[in-house]
Amino acid sequence: MNDTHAKPSGLSRRQFLKTSALVGGCAALATACRRAEDLSARAESGALSPEEFYELSKAENIVYTTCMNCNTGCGIKAKIVDGVMIKVDGNPYSPWTMTPHIRYAHSPAEAEIAKLDGAICPKGQAGIQTLYDPYRIRKVLKRVGKRGEGKWESISFEQAISEVVEGGRLFADVPGEESREVEGLSDICALRDPAVMARLRADAAMVANGEMTVAEFKRAHRAHLDKLIDPDHPDLGPKNNQLVFNWGRMKAGRSQFVQRFISNAFGTVNRIGHTTVCQGSLYFACRAMSEQYVNGQWTGGRKFYWQADLRNTDFVIFAGSNAFEGGYGPPLRTPKITNGLTERRFKFAVVDPRMGKLGGMAWRWVPATPGSETGLALAMIRWIIENERYDKAYLSAANKAAADAIGEPNWSGSSWLVKIGEDGPGDFLRVADLPEADRPEGDTDRFVVLRDGRIGAVDPNDTAEPVVGDLLVDTTIGGIPVKSSMQLLYESACEHSLSGWAEICGIRVRDITDLAREFTSHGKKAAADIHRGVSQHTNGYLAVAAWMSLNLLIGNIGWKGGMIESSTYNATGTGRGQPFPVNDMHPGRLGPFGVSIIRDRADYEKSTLFDGYPSKRPWYPIADSIFQEVIPSAGDAYPYSIKALILYMGAPNYSLPSGNELNDILTDTAKIPLFIANDITIGATSAYADYIFPDGTFYERWEFHGSHGSVSQKVQPVRTPVVTPLVDTCTVFGEEMSMSLESMMMAMAEKMELSGFGPDGFGNGMPFTHPDHFYLKMVANVAADGAPVPDADAREVDLLNRSRRHIAAHTFEESRWRKAVGEDWWKKVVYVLNRGGRFQDYPDTYRGEQLTNAYARLINLYCEKTARSRNSMTGKRYDGIPRHYPVLDCLGRELPDTESEYPLFLSTYRQSVQTKTRTNSAYWLLAVVPENAILMNRITAQDSGFKTGDEVIIKSATNPDGVWDLGGLGKRPVSGRIKVVEGMRPGVVTFSLGFGQWGNGAVDMRVDGDTLRGDRRRGRGINANAVMRVDPFLKNTALSDPIGASVVFYDTRVRLERVG
Amino acid sequence: MKTTATPDPVEATGRTPVEEAPPEPEQAPASCTERGCAAGEKPMGRKRFLAQVASMVGLSAVALPSLVRAGLEAVADGRTEESGAGFLKDGPEFEEDEAANIIIRMQRELRKAMRKPIEQRKWVMVIDLRKCTGCNACTISCIAENHLPGGVVYRPVMEEEIGTYPNVSLRSTPRPCMQCETAPCVPVCPVHATWIRPDGIIDMDYDQCIGCRYCMTACPYHARTFDFGYSYTEGTPEPDQPYEKVPSFEYGKRWKQQKGRSPTGNVRKCHFCTHKLDAGMLPSCVTSCIGYATYFGDANDPDSLVAELISRGNKIRLKEEMGTRPRVFYLI
Repeated sequence: MNDTHAKPSGLSRRQFLKTSALVGGCAALATACRRAEDLSARAESGALSPEEFYELSKAENIVYTTCMNCNTGCGIKAKIVDGVMIKVDGNPYSPWTMTPHIRYAHSPAEAEIAKLDGAICPKGQAGIQTLYDPYRIRKVLKRVGKRGEGKWESISFEQAISEVVEGGRLFADVPGEESREVEGLSDICALRDPAVMARLRADAAMVANGEMTVAEFKRAHRAHLDKLIDPDHPDLGPKNNQLVFNWGRMKAGRSQFVQRFISNAFGTVNRIGHTTVCQGSLYFACRAMSEQYVNGQWTGGRKFYWQADLRNTDFVIFAGSNAFEGGYGPPLRTPKITNGLTERRFKFAVVDPRMGKLGGMAWRWVPATPGSETGLALAMIRWIIENERYDKAYLSAANKAAADAIGEPNWSGSSWLVKIGEDGPGDFLRVADLPEADRPEGDTDRFVVLRDGRIGAVDPNDTAEPVVGDLLVDTTIGGIPVKSSMQLLYESACEHSLSGWAEICGIRVRDITDLAREFTSHGKKAAADIHRGVSQHTNGYLAVAAWMSLNLLIGNIGWKGGMIESSTYNATGTGRGQPFPVNDMHPGRLGPFGVSIIRDRADYEKSTLFDGYPSKRPWYPIADSIFQEVIPSAGDAYPYSIKALILYMGAPNYSLPSGNELNDILTDTAKIPLFIANDITIGATSAYADYIFPDGTFYERWEFHGSHGSVSQKVQPVRTPVVTPLVDTCTVFGEEMSMSLESMMMAMAEKMELSGFGPDGFGNGMPFTHPDHFYLKMVANVAADGAPVPDADAREVDLLNRSRRHIAAHTFEESRWRKAVGEDWWKKVVYVLNRGGRFQDYPDTYRGEQLTNAYARLINLYCEKTARSRNSMTGKRYDGIPRHYPVLDCLGRELPDTESEYPLFLSTYRQSVQTKTRTNSAYWLLAVVPENAILMNRITAQDSGFKTGDEVIIKSATNPDGVWDLGGLGKRPVSGRIKVVEGMRPGVVTFSLGFGQWGNGAVDMRVDGDTLRGDRRRGRGINANAVMRVDPFLKNTALSDPIGASVVFYDTRVRLERVG
Repeated sequence: MKTTATPDPVEATGRTPVEEAPPEPEQAPASCTERGCAAGEKPMGRKRFLAQVASMVGLSAVALPSLVRAGLEAVADGRTEESGAGFLKDGPEFEEDEAANIIIRMQRELRKAMRKPIEQRKWVMVIDLRKCTGCNACTISCIAENHLPGGVVYRPVMEEEIGTYPNVSLRSTPRPCMQCETAPCVPVCPVHATWIRPDGIIDMDYDQCIGCRYCMTACPYHARTFDFGYSYTEGTPEPDQPYEKVPSFEYGKRWKQQKGRSPTGNVRKCHFCTHKLDAGMLPSCVTSCIGYATYFGDANDPDSLVAELISRGNKIRLKEEMGTRPRVFYLI
């Protein structure tokens, strides 16, 4: 391997940069400048037309790709002069950045198309400074001090790979670690035989289900017991699981790449994302609502959520959803709102304790108390049901045939009957439960409705016989008390009177009735659009279910002006007619098994660890990607200890509520013996790693960003390298490539001789020796999905090459790209890449009054699968229907924090000029808002004697000193400055995310013996996550939603104290 | 009211009780727009802002014919008349759904306007305050497009809260150069480095500018800033990042950001991206506006979108009573 490749640079450097650990200046600038002068002279002499002079107008200087300075995934055009990306604008082919977007058939080689710019937000504009960031790393860094002490040396890629794979006394020079043997990845990857793994997996499942004893298992597999984490608990899986791969932001493409290496080649189940720190309960409540009943099983629930079709709706309630500044996302949602305000009859309400830019333009701002979101939705539901302002025909349709009969795209279980047991609503009533005499003929697994007193049997997917059911049923059938799903919702809504709900929400009854009346005054052209503000509470799942039930009541899902489910062209190749099923093209792939370190999608009761309630830490039978559980679970070694952690593009100790609790674990080499990070800078958490491998930014690599419910078209935005990556190169499988997450994994695979990579990585004669071999195949899949895209013409193929003429061959080489997909697909691949992805035309988005890509399946109002799962801490079943709860800890107890000691609620928000973690490197953004503030209402300020500019410390019951303890990086107060405003609910204070950083160049580091001075501009402002409420039972993890697993941002009581 | 584009210790959303004491006239919106209201400084409501604007007496602007002539000469380099330029050709055929896009419409209208002699064009910008969300996309896009160094901002966005809790709203106001028809900044220039082009844009010649800053003082909108040559990456481990070294395209020339060379040491201002207009493209603040709140076009074209918009009754111009006759209109 070779990492000596350095970019030519004519720029002088400061002394400490002899290390070359950081990314340097750009190639050939002197030449570029000479060329510029020449251009000017020719322009002035008239030898050059203005168009020729203005190089950013030319197609050959534009590469279409996809932004990731937040997770919205806007289409962008990177404009490049002399190999330097100097301007970013919106991609007019993308519905994200142009409203309406241009037809897909336009040629990007056309001069007028090249000149057409879409709109992209300030973070997207400032992405240039993410790419050209003075603090980017270009070589592998290895710590030379204790974890988190900020002392590094740059080492060769080859050495780094050898060390992490082979292990040994890797930190012998670090005091206290002289004799510490680190187990390398090769040893952790204990079980490599796919056949053996398959046998162990099958029998371990039998042990967990009680169909085989542990003794029998041990007898049967005595030759392989040494490969298990714990032979007495075979369901924990093989030792391979002791490698945990955790990420902060990863999209399709990289996701399949990581799956290939981590799961299919290395064989660990621990491939864990970050969903719960964003809006996990929103995803998992909607997954529960979208579970389908097939062959007697609940299956196929989608991890997604619906968002409003803002372009066509007449009324929207944004609840905890900041469409102008976040929430997938400003460039695509803002114009629909602002055009709606001036061009058509459109109004919107905002439910949020902070008014913000969105509330500031709203018809009604409803500053409900944090944590009361479920209550507000239930109050509206009560009013709507009592005033019969729901869509009775839609809700009564009990199966697909009934929906078809009335022209509805989907149907719900609103009329289905639920058995009421001693511990509340349980399973649905099934035909088998009926007295034999009343049993309709046919399948006994069907559900039951009542229609005018007569029993009807429901096969939800039946397309032949429409079944319609009564909505409000409370009766006894065959001695079994039953209620309809809708009846259960109504009873939940009747837990309080409207004035009772109003009191809980801290609003007027009029606010409830006005919202409910308006919401039910536009037919299906109204929507309740929710986001983090609803989901990041201890009752987040139920709050989401309540708000989505509101949408269900007016039957707006799948309708123009109603609610959208995103729709994407498949990149993974599993669809019909797609050429490259990349996951299956993996000879010798492993099938990993075992309980994950975060115990996701697993029942405590069905594990050999079951030992009564509470479990040591919570299990999450219906959630996954539980970010806040990864490191604390490693800390508590529950359900087992880990041996290595690979962290990619994540900053859990910064971004998680009470993230500071993680630092003790991260720095403990007994709990995390090997910690590898992959990052573009020394980040907030990678600063605590043993090794940091450099990665490319999103402008230097591949991904398939997918879509969100805010986009009504079928799409697949592609992310592709637009410049030569600024990091050093390395050689893997004999090929030169830039250092990146991919090359790190490929080199590990090469060193460990794992399956699925190398000269025959995709099968005989199909090499996987360069990341391009993987990603180009995925582009071909996108091109092939459904009706394939046209072939690019010769002019377009030429454009692809010319627009990438500045990119080094290790990153762009036409012959390599072409070979990766073959001649049959190449021109279609070019067609997709030249447009930055694949996007459905606007007129194809709607079919009459419905969405073309409408959600067209069952929607569960009562979620039986959820109601069958148990909370592993309390032993109680989860609620199947939305219900309001106060803030509770993991044992279901109310918190002791009193209003007298901690009088204020703490909340967070996002500004348009910062994302949650990654954009403190953008100096242009920092010029607009150099630091955030603690927003406080004037009334609160007057009561507490604060004024704008006062510096205060925030304190809470679990961080009574208001301190960030960063271990070796020191301690810092959780302090910031007050900003007094009108647009806040009194009693609530908030701060915007993304400030108060220590990562990404905000603090000093030592690299190769020299000081790498931090830039204090990058660390200004406050991040108050450290004071967020720690769960009193778990003690190292923030409060969490027991069902949807969202980690809680909005339920902490705090006190503010003046500094000094 | 405060400027969100100038560094300020505390972020935007200063609340603005209308009943509070009026700011000193000389501190009025202008001072806020330029420096950003310091923490604790009393911002003011939009109504008051407009009322004060109405009461202010501006400099009497004298359009010197010689300067106008100079401007004519400066642009009479044949570039805008060039018949072979791409913007003169018809663009691709757009379908009805695409033509509904105002960016496509305005770009077509721009092309049409560029076919005319420069003196027959009348560029105006229209900013719909009902649609501006204060996101600052325009601010940053402008910085990127024109390679603006630290401290130089052509298009800040001012933000103000109106009302008291719980009846509050927010208004954001972008402030480009107003490209006044009778521009107070032009006659005060001792070296004739700034003038009004025949199409209405206030032009600058960086090579002429001696950096005396009279024009900055004269501008009632504080639309001009001084280029001290600050680099955003100065003091970092790798100063002078590639994007900072690539020359900008302002005024159809290529300007390297370099100490001691123009435009460092000059006064700088918004120019409606004349270099983009010449190439048949809209200004960056227009295309980057995610709220579709900024419009641009030729007011002399009766069919243009901007001509339609400024014919309506809900338009205002800032400090109109000063006789500056801005070419930037606001819809309220």
